[in-house]
Amino acid sequence: MSKRVDEIIEQKLKAIKEEKNINSRGRVSGVNNYVLEIEGLDEAFYFEEVRIEEKATGYVSKITANRVYVALVRKTDDVYVGDSVFATGKEFCGHYSKNAIGHMVDMFGTECLMNSKFDDTMELKLEENPIPIIDRSKVSRPLATGITGIDMIYPVGKGQRQLIIGDKRSGKTQITMDTIVNQKGKDMLCIYVAVGKTKKEVKSTYLELLKRGAMEYTVILSAFNDEYPPVIRNTPFLAMSIARYYMLNEQKDVLVVIDDLKRHADVCREIGLLTGTVPGRDAYPSDIFYTHARMLENGCQHKDGGSVTVLPIIETKGGDITDYISSNVISITDGQIVLSGKNFEKGFKPAIDYGLSVSRLGGAVQTRDMKRVGAAVRRELLSYLEKCDVYELANADEMSPDLLRTMKNGKKIRENLKQNKYSPLLPEEMQNLFDGLVNLD
Amino acid sequence: MSLGKIISISAMRVELLLSDTSVKVRDIVKTSLDGKEWRFEIASIKGNTAVSIPFENVIGLRKGLDVERVDNGLNMEYSEKILGRVFNSFGDVIDGKEFESEGRKNVYERNMTIPEIETEGDILWTGIKVLDFFAPMQKGYKMGLLGGAGVGKTVLIKELIHNVYRWLKSNSVFIGIGERSREGKELLDEMLEGDLLDKMTITFGQMGENSMGRSKAIYAGLTQAEFLRDEKNQDVLLFIDNMYRFVQANSEISAELEQIPIDNGYPPTLLSDVASVEERINSTDKGSITSFQTVFIPADDYNDAAVHAITSHFDGQIVLDRKVAEKGIYPAVNVFRTTSKLIDPERIGQRHYDLVSQVLAYLSRYAELEEIVAVLGIEELSKEDFNIFYRSRKLRNYFTQPMFVAEQFTNIPGRFVKIQDVLDDVEAILQGKYDSTDEHRFSYIGNLYDYKKN
Repeated sequence: MSKRVDEIIEQKLKAIKEEKNINSRGRVSGVNNYVLEIEGLDEAFYFEEVRIEEKATGYVSKITANRVYVALVRKTDDVYVGDSVFATGKEFCGHYSKNAIGHMVDMFGTECLMNSKFDDTMELKLEENPIPIIDRSKVSRPLATGITGIDMIYPVGKGQRQLIIGDKRSGKTQITMDTIVNQKGKDMLCIYVAVGKTKKEVKSTYLELLKRGAMEYTVILSAFNDEYPPVIRNTPFLAMSIARYYMLNEQKDVLVVIDDLKRHADVCREIGLLTGTVPGRDAYPSDIFYTHARMLENGCQHKDGGSVTVLPIIETKGGDITDYISSNVISITDGQIVLSGKNFEKGFKPAIDYGLSVSRLGGAVQTRDMKRVGAAVRRELLSYLEKCDVYELANADEMSPDLLRTMKNGKKIRENLKQNKYSPLLPEEMQNLFDGLVNLD
Repeated sequence: MSLGKIISISAMRVELLLSDTSVKVRDIVKTSLDGKEWRFEIASIKGNTAVSIPFENVIGLRKGLDVERVDNGLNMEYSEKILGRVFNSFGDVIDGKEFESEGRKNVYERNMTIPEIETEGDILWTGIKVLDFFAPMQKGYKMGLLGGAGVGKTVLIKELIHNVYRWLKSNSVFIGIGERSREGKELLDEMLEGDLLDKMTITFGQMGENSMGRSKAIYAGLTQAEFLRDEKNQDVLLFIDNMYRFVQANSEISAELEQIPIDNGYPPTLLSDVASVEERINSTDKGSITSFQTVFIPADDYNDAAVHAITSHFDGQIVLDRKVAEKGIYPAVNVFRTTSKLIDPERIGQRHYDLVSQVLAYLSRYAELEEIVAVLGIEELSKEDFNIFYRSRKLRNYFTQPMFVAEQFTNIPGRFVKIQDVLDDVEAILQGKYDSTDEHRFSYIGNLYDYKKN
């Protein structure tokens, strides 16, 4: 026993000789997947970046009376109990280079295709205080996606948060790709955030955007499937910080696509359960709503002119948009585009479910003409879709002329809303589609 | 003077080693480092250690820092200066303008006794057809607006602010809990543009704020409402958007305190937390507090424990339903779940009462007929069912309404409809006077008389 005490004293003395400040040193006392338990590190502050010898990097995620817990983000070699740990004295930040536009990068400032670091990266805090209510301004400028069903019926404005939600293979990512491609020449910076996607998926997204000339104004910020969960958790927060940086410092309009938040929630659940937080509904951490809310609240139209528009994606199962995470995010965003697998199969592409989709800003982000036509089209279409269910078996000869007209026009409206991928329309072209089909008074 | 030291830190929980044991739960302590200040509220005490919940994020906070007490605990401006101003949950002014305090009050102090509670009041018409008809409101009532995500709760509460506040011009308190900052800003702008802020006070603890900010907004707002009622003898309108977020914030705090949760992660103190604030919302002989409170339905689960805990305090509820919204019917009210204690022949009169029963009977038969029609077609219905089918569809469309605050979505100006007109119109539709009018002509109109004139 006394031998052990002597050893510790000797170690400490040695450490004091080597380093000026013993309090910023510690040693690994436990390893639980990517969460380390550390003895020492008495002066560490919350969210401080720490190094484990030359092998690994992490940040302080919890400080207790006798221990400090560190979440690992990077590791080059195995970590053993007893390895020494030192605190860097600075907050754990993301790294971003302004030359990253046109590239696929990660949160450490690495160019993923060349596997090289940018040499002019700046450090960006992952989270800052919420943008004060008084600094926000009305969301009113339209953001053209080029998709008729969106621009006309459930429009997106600059500074809006619009959720894209639907089953696997219902065209969610395609909608965001169309939107990014349609920003060409519109002075918009796009950030596509891959949250826990496979490397193959991200690479083909990159190649697709490159092919269409959209990488010129786009950054792909990726946290691949096999990264440490703390990296996947923090990457979308860094994306929001980058967007916020451009909005506040350069008054730029930024579009952020987060693909997707269900995966993000699952990663938060994994970290939560592993670190022993009390689980809430469906075993997600109790603060999962707050996690997504504070991320998405960075989306705004700032009073100084810049804006951050966010299109988060959520993948559902069996078309159920009322599960916990989906309904949470729906209650945060300013509307949702719901995609239906059934419509997709029937060939109604984009497979928008016009009954369940919502835009809380609606006409406020449309031009006068667009609003006039859009409101009428939406009314006629919804009334047609509802009547379809009821009058499916009715005899057309016995319908009133009013009803017959609704049914005929409704069918045409629905046909006109069909649109192939990467074939954007201009607002005037969209309006012309509905000439004479809807009553505009 | 130092009260103790910080010994542990996690995202929403800071533990203190106390050197002074005169600390009690809900005391506020503060510490600072490198020019940054943190505030904490004591949540529990055990021996000489206390657990506290931070007001702001704890990035940069270190172990070993000294903490000191802040006088008065959590307090709120308690003077006429509140009118026309915007506060955060901790009583700070956040509208960017100069502010000089005239008096503060602890936000937890008020408790009501049985003798001072007043239960009578006049009927308060909102001008929204479906609300006045199925769930009429009384001065001093608590009305819940319930609904899942994205079915129109916020639009409806904004319409109520528009109709009730603008027409009555009564003093109002708006408490935004865990909702969108964008909507908060829009409400503020609309009030400023309409020159309506002078009789209103606003407190925001929006969704970007941590659980402390969202959990305390209600106390701050209630203290203001109590000032207007108790000190100014006013009838107060209280708008709360959204009450569920208060419970949700408490769940987050409870998880940090490592309390054992009841189902779905709700705190063990769920019922008492809700009761402690709802019991303060009452009328006295000095003035009334009439409240509209939205309640988010998580995962569209109407049997959720938190939703039940909140709705058990209400005198009436308006339930919004995704299935109704899907059909393009707004406000998307589910009339079968919507109710009010005023639906009593002695209060609203026999005629209104009978019409409500009859409409409900029609609509519930309609729901059955819809299925029959989907299989057999309309031609197979009996004459009686045929009438019920078509009249119900007309009634259903009649209860849609263009809203003043939703003009940007519908492109139709809002309408305020008097209850007498609603009763006359509903009666006429039920009697078959409009059997030859096409059903879509009933959608998004005011009353039928005005409509026919055009």
